[in-house]
Amino acid sequence: MIIKTFVKETKESWRDGRVRIAFLIVLLLLAMAVWVGVRQYQNVNEQYRTAKNTERILWDNQGEKNPHSAAHYGTYAFKPKYPLSLVDQGVDKYVGTSIFLEAHKRNEAQFSAAADQTGLARFGDLTPDFILLFIIPLLIILLGYNSFTKEREMGTYTLLKSQGASNWKWAMGKWMSLFIPIFAITALLFLITGILLSNLKDFGVFKWQSLLTMFVIYMGYYIIFINIVLIISSRAKKSGIALVLSLSVWILACLAAPKAASNIAEAKHPYPTRQEFAANVLKDKKDGLDGHNPWSKESKLLEQQVLAEHGVDSLHQLPFNFDAYRMQKGEEHEAEVYFKHYNYLKDQFAQQSKVYKGLAIISPYLPTRFLSMAVAQTDYATHWDFADAAEDYRIATQKFLNDHFAENSNYGDWSYQADANFWVGLPSFEYDPPELGEILTDNTSSLWILGAWLALSFSILLITTKTI
Amino acid sequence: MLRYNFIYELRILLRSRWIQLLSLLLLLLFGFSAFNGKEKVEKRKVDIAAAKQEVLDTDQSMLKLLDSVERGMAVSASPWTIPTSPMAVANYYPRVVAMDPQPMAFVSTGQADIFTHYVKPTATGDDFALNFTEMTSPVQLLFGSFDLAFVIVYLLPLLIIAFSYNVLSSEKESGSLRLLASQPISIRKWVFQKLILRFFWLSVLVVTTLVLVILIVGIQPLEWSKVFGLLGLALSYMLFWFSLAFLVNLYVGSSAKNAVSLLGLWVVFVLLVPSVLNQLAGTLYPMPSRTLMINEMRERKVEATKRQDEILDNFLRDHPEYAINDSTQTRSFYHNYMASQKVVKEELAPIVNAYETQLKKQQSWSRQLQWTSPAIVVQESLNNLSGTSTADYENYRRQVIAFSESWREHFMSFLYNNTLFKSEDHTNLPQFQYHALGQSGVPKAILILLAMALVLLGLGFAVQGATRQKGILAD
Repeated sequence: MIIKTFVKETKESWRDGRVRIAFLIVLLLLAMAVWVGVRQYQNVNEQYRTAKNTERILWDNQGEKNPHSAAHYGTYAFKPKYPLSLVDQGVDKYVGTSIFLEAHKRNEAQFSAAADQTGLARFGDLTPDFILLFIIPLLIILLGYNSFTKEREMGTYTLLKSQGASNWKWAMGKWMSLFIPIFAITALLFLITGILLSNLKDFGVFKWQSLLTMFVIYMGYYIIFINIVLIISSRAKKSGIALVLSLSVWILACLAAPKAASNIAEAKHPYPTRQEFAANVLKDKKDGLDGHNPWSKESKLLEQQVLAEHGVDSLHQLPFNFDAYRMQKGEEHEAEVYFKHYNYLKDQFAQQSKVYKGLAIISPYLPTRFLSMAVAQTDYATHWDFADAAEDYRIATQKFLNDHFAENSNYGDWSYQADANFWVGLPSFEYDPPELGEILTDNTSSLWILGAWLALSFSILLITTKTI
Repeated sequence: MLRYNFIYELRILLRSRWIQLLSLLLLLLFGFSAFNGKEKVEKRKVDIAAAKQEVLDTDQSMLKLLDSVERGMAVSASPWTIPTSPMAVANYYPRVVAMDPQPMAFVSTGQADIFTHYVKPTATGDDFALNFTEMTSPVQLLFGSFDLAFVIVYLLPLLIIAFSYNVLSSEKESGSLRLLASQPISIRKWVFQKLILRFFWLSVLVVTTLVLVILIVGIQPLEWSKVFGLLGLALSYMLFWFSLAFLVNLYVGSSAKNAVSLLGLWVVFVLLVPSVLNQLAGTLYPMPSRTLMINEMRERKVEATKRQDEILDNFLRDHPEYAINDSTQTRSFYHNYMASQKVVKEELAPIVNAYETQLKKQQSWSRQLQWTSPAIVVQESLNNLSGTSTADYENYRRQVIAFSESWREHFMSFLYNNTLFKSEDHTNLPQFQYHALGQSGVPKAILILLAMALVLLGLGFAVQGATRQKGILAD
């Protein structure tokens, strides 16, 4: 009976011109989105490589220079693009791609793509994630809104009752007829993406496991939608009403809830403005050691401490350049200040995340979105991870430069210049994004929420179809 | 007949509790979204006011410091921050260059969540490296904001669809169509009257709730013309969707089919066309790479540092006006720095301008094609009305750069004349005043929308439909 219902339903919907057109449109859109995505991905990675190499060449060929001048000259950390961003662009468009690493200052990533686009960009991009998250649920609604209502409207309901098949089997057949086409279209997309990605040059970071995980997450999301649509269809009196109701659920889950969540999150746990943040950092910096200021109270304190430690009575007698030593100590203090303030931002975001998770009760879209971005390594957490790695590298670079300055020059010798080949000694910045296992453990709460949605929707579907 | 229809419609609407439900829903949606917008604007105002207050406070301490130095007293500040040095004032006492919110800013968030509303440019900072983006969680930017514009552009059409998809088909389905066909009125006219009446009632509801919400949010009395602009946009956008519903009611069939067709159109106009246009704009006029720009900028700077003495000589030769009264010929770090910075800036101008021209091209391209989707027309006009469109932020950026140029110039003459900054110079510091863009283009947008609606209505009346040929009662 399950198979028979499935075959009948599939034939029926395939004969409907609207369904065929809708399927065709979705496929076309997906093809377009993937094509644009692949091009963009190659383009961006090409630029990333060029920028990284050029920057390193500039750094290596600084010539003879004071190490601290080099520290002010600084260098850049560029953020690479990861293969699965092809499927889900996540927040990539809204975060910067390059971080300037200089002495005394932790800079934020600069130049987000969204800032260079017109207002149109805020409607959304034609990317696979847009289609996966918004359009395919709509397709499910289109396929399934009248699953049960049409039996009632055409009067075939009594006929069905007389067949002696249990409601459960009958509903299962309808469920399958919704699930199989969606499964096929999604599987096709992921398969093509996988093949495309593994054929791209240097796909080093691409893993089939991640793609498969993503596929499973999306299938979970679609199953929830299928269940909801069928529940509504089994309860509604007319097809039109079922359609309008299913659609209201879609609007609430995919459009309204995320936007409302973002408003509530911002109102409850706001970020400081860029200028406020800078002012707060400056205030804290002033309370500690400034590497450039030998006259401050903290400098004098450090001076006495170091002199006592080495048992000498003048800075000239120290075995190293005290100016550079103080510079390094100042650097450490500043790094701590930044650590504190950036942690505050992270705390604010952690609080905001709770709001998003709270609203996931009315929207299966939210946990899916967060999981999908996380697996694609295009979420905010990955961005933080990258920014932290860049900051660690910045601190290490400052130590590398200050230590060299301290060991190779004498106190007061600001005209000291490091050798032209000294710069090559700095290890280059390499960043490895978190692995899949780590990502999933970080996002267990979203997985649980999605699981709860699945379990709940299935059980309600079972109960409603029993008493149809 | 119109009179009967009118009374009948009103009774039906009241008895089916549609009106009650709709007014409650509209009040909730408009109220929540306007409250969100208002909250954002308030935060923006408070932030700017706090920043300005901070400048006033630091100015007071600067004047105190100056006073002490001028009277020959010892001060405890770091030597390079003492404001007698003009460059210290130029770098450590920047002004707040703020973009004050427009009166209607609460209507649409637009680009306001991406960009910052005040910066403090210093003399040694690079204009092109000035970061105009605001510190926000990117998740928030991704999801967007639940503002009035969202309710009008996205949700209002859906309400209209739910309100009008089955005007004709429900008669067919409930069997009262035969009765109707015997009445002395053509079916087209009847559907038209029915829809226009529904449009009228929905308009009344929308206008009253919107005005109510705006009154609660509070708006300056002079800005009523803008409120009318908002109402005009909302109503003409609604008329567009009602005309679409009119066409679909006439030419499609059952209620469910009508609903699917209307929703398909909604997806096309609100979701697909904008994203395809955006994608195309990016492909046709691609932005040059920012990462490569950084490379270029760095290379030029290295060049400039290598030849900084030469640059300074050339600079002073070209700009004798800066050093008219200089008798000391003192040269410090800043003399070199400011001159090379100017050179680097001039050299980089074409690269930096490339972004602006490209953005302009994208904008004008999307402006030309915006009529392909009324949703874009309305969203863009609401952004313009609120002063939060891309063009507004571009305008602000330009003004900031002009101001920081004049800020720099102001101190350049101090620097190259080697004159000290004195207490009385404080009153002559350049001040910034933001000038909003003049035209919003709302009337034009309303005309476009009305024209679209009229064309659709005309289509409904003019084109011979299947119904006319086969007769309305044919199945």
